[in-house]
Amino acid sequence: MKFRCEREVLVDALNTAGRAVSSRGGSLPVLAGLRLELNGDQLVITGSDLDLTVTVSLEVAGTTDGVSVVPAKLLSDVVRAVEPGAVQLEVDAGDAQISAGRSQFSLRTIPADEYPQLSDVVGEGVSIDGTALVTALRQVVPAASSDDSRPILTGVLMAAEQAGLRLVATDSYRLSVRDLPGTTVLEDDKTILVPSRALNELSRLIDDDAEVVLHLGERDASFVVGEVRLTTRLIEGDFPNYRGLIPDSNPNKLTVDRVALLDAVKRVRLLAQEATPVRLSMSGDGLELVAMTQDVGQAEESVDADYEGTDLTVAFNADYLSVGLDVAPGETVTLETVDALKPALLRSPEFPEFLYLLMPVRVS
Amino acid sequence: MSFGSATILHVDMDAFFAACELRRRPELRGKPVVVGGEGQRGVVAAASYEARVFGIRSAMPSAQARRLCPDAVFLPGDHAHYAEVSAEVMSIFASFTPLVEPLSLDEAFLDVSGARRLHGSAMNIAHKIRYSVNKSVGLTCSVGVAPNKFLAKLATEDAKPKPSTDGPVFGVGVREIDPRRVQEFLDPLPIRAIWGVGPATEKRLNRLGATTVADIARLSLDAMVGALGNAQGRHLYELCRGIDDRPVVPRQEAKSVSHEETFAVDLFEPERLQAEIVRMADAVGRRLRLSNTRGRTVQLKVRFGDFTTITRSSTLAGPTSSGSAIANEARDLLAKINLTQGVRLLGVGVSGMAKETEGEQLSFDDIASVPEDWRDAEQAIDEIRAKFGDAAIGHASSLRRGKLSPKTAGEQQWGPGEPSQGER
Repeated sequence: MKFRCEREVLVDALNTAGRAVSSRGGSLPVLAGLRLELNGDQLVITGSDLDLTVTVSLEVAGTTDGVSVVPAKLLSDVVRAVEPGAVQLEVDAGDAQISAGRSQFSLRTIPADEYPQLSDVVGEGVSIDGTALVTALRQVVPAASSDDSRPILTGVLMAAEQAGLRLVATDSYRLSVRDLPGTTVLEDDKTILVPSRALNELSRLIDDDAEVVLHLGERDASFVVGEVRLTTRLIEGDFPNYRGLIPDSNPNKLTVDRVALLDAVKRVRLLAQEATPVRLSMSGDGLELVAMTQDVGQAEESVDADYEGTDLTVAFNADYLSVGLDVAPGETVTLETVDALKPALLRSPEFPEFLYLLMPVRVS
Repeated sequence: MSFGSATILHVDMDAFFAACELRRRPELRGKPVVVGGEGQRGVVAAASYEARVFGIRSAMPSAQARRLCPDAVFLPGDHAHYAEVSAEVMSIFASFTPLVEPLSLDEAFLDVSGARRLHGSAMNIAHKIRYSVNKSVGLTCSVGVAPNKFLAKLATEDAKPKPSTDGPVFGVGVREIDPRRVQEFLDPLPIRAIWGVGPATEKRLNRLGATTVADIARLSLDAMVGALGNAQGRHLYELCRGIDDRPVVPRQEAKSVSHEETFAVDLFEPERLQAEIVRMADAVGRRLRLSNTRGRTVQLKVRFGDFTTITRSSTLAGPTSSGSAIANEARDLLAKINLTQGVRLLGVGVSGMAKETEGEQLSFDDIASVPEDWRDAEQAIDEIRAKFGDAAIGHASSLRRGKLSPKTAGEQQWGPGEPSQGER
């Protein structure tokens, strides 16, 4: 295998594919490498940890076809470090020679036949508007759990709803739901559970106005964005019944400027240390935020707000609350509550396709 | 070497558990009484002085005690009762000085340096304490009075009743170590009398030709460090000169709360172990609520049949005092452990105690899996138990042979009881 390529182009491609390579070093040593396959002028770079696989295709000036697996981190570091301009890569007798300017690197390769066989995409694929998908992912993915002991909650549910596609994630403390009306990606009543890590990577890949094509396999899903294909294993199992969590009626309703509340939460949370919550005292006079940490101090701030209901103080984890306010669309949000111990519902009146439900913190 | 005045007291109840039993069962007085685990893995928790005459000692396997004195009265032990009595005793100590450091239910260090103006000399206070304990609780104790903790504990030993072939011999009750005669007191003691000297250390010191404290006191610091390593060498070098500067530290906030249990026979079935978890988590939650604290890290300890022991822990989003929340977490931890070896001991605990201003992050799981009013239920259970006793109410999974047996503090620190039907 032998080709030449602009350094910038190659660095980008190596980084993109390299994001799927596990830094922890998985069970297969070959997965610490990136697989490079050259056919004519078409170079395909693949990185994988078996759960997530990213392949990037790019045009290079090819001389000799071939396949090789090169240590991912070292290859990226080398190509990033050489002088700008053309980089030549030639694999010969188990060594990858990288030359650029007056630099010469020789990297020992990993036998390519050990690289796992990765399936090709199946079916036609369904197209999704990239901009809308990125927005939805930004709103939903942060609510997914990062705790591997509950694998189902580390996924984002993608469900076919009458209105279109619905994305749902929860870490059991908060729940984020976002509908993409008019997007029909899945067959009726079909649901898939996609690892949130894969969707995080996916949102990095989507530029403005990009089109995303979803190919759904038996056990995996592939998202194709331009020349990049991201394939992820799907999580098996039943997503919890999130619908049952959303209260039907909420007697108390706070209406407040979203950014004003977000900024106030960010300020008072400085005094919500070591797992102490931010308290929201809601009354006809408006909203009062209080945070206090034993032996440290306390912070208070009042925020203009409309409130209908009985006077109530509810405490929330500052992080969970600010994430909800951060990702909620629109200028105004409502916070609907039942009491200090029941889930609170954060919504934007003008954007019914989004909701964020969060459990309070019980304080003594 | 000069010492300050003798202001540290070490108070040790005489054969405490056995004495508690004799107090409420006077008919057993004068008989050899042994309190402890009755099962095959049981150990002796306490023996009356009459039983000690037969060579029965604490921590000895119950089976061995039975062989030494088949006629002894063996009692299963009632930790809740001893804890109650202990609290009474400790409150008497606290009426003399706030600096009370309990070592266990029946032992405490007291620093009385600030109490002398009110109550007289340390010796005086020691006698007053013995008198008050005997008068208001009906039990006897022995008191050591010395310039520091190490010497005070040795002094108590000297004040204790002793078993003899003619039956128990009363001790002096209070023994003071004169600060000017510390070395005289220490010198004749066997080296095993020193805190922290076990069989291994004793052997190493014997090799240096030392059998008494006087012998080690003659060794140089270098020789001690050479034989025992830096930390222990130095420590012992000081102790055998009567030097110990550890302060009396009053009871601190608990850093963790846990319960563990050794089973009469190794358990293999996950369902059975899960039920045990519920029982122990329930007890942990209850103690947390009683002390008004909450913890955020749940620990599970598993000892297998071959004595290998593992602990697994997991941290909750927020601190909790709910037995069901602790049980849920501990069951998840158990699910990841290979149980094919059989489980000898299981422990459930909580650490990472919360500050008061901290809250408890509620979870959707609280809505979905645990009835919403579970916390209220736990509170109600606490109240019922406070009024009607621990066995009045409990989890269905803690039913044993048709009876409720909720886990209680110390119920089993002397080994498991006999295996029940079906466990054999």
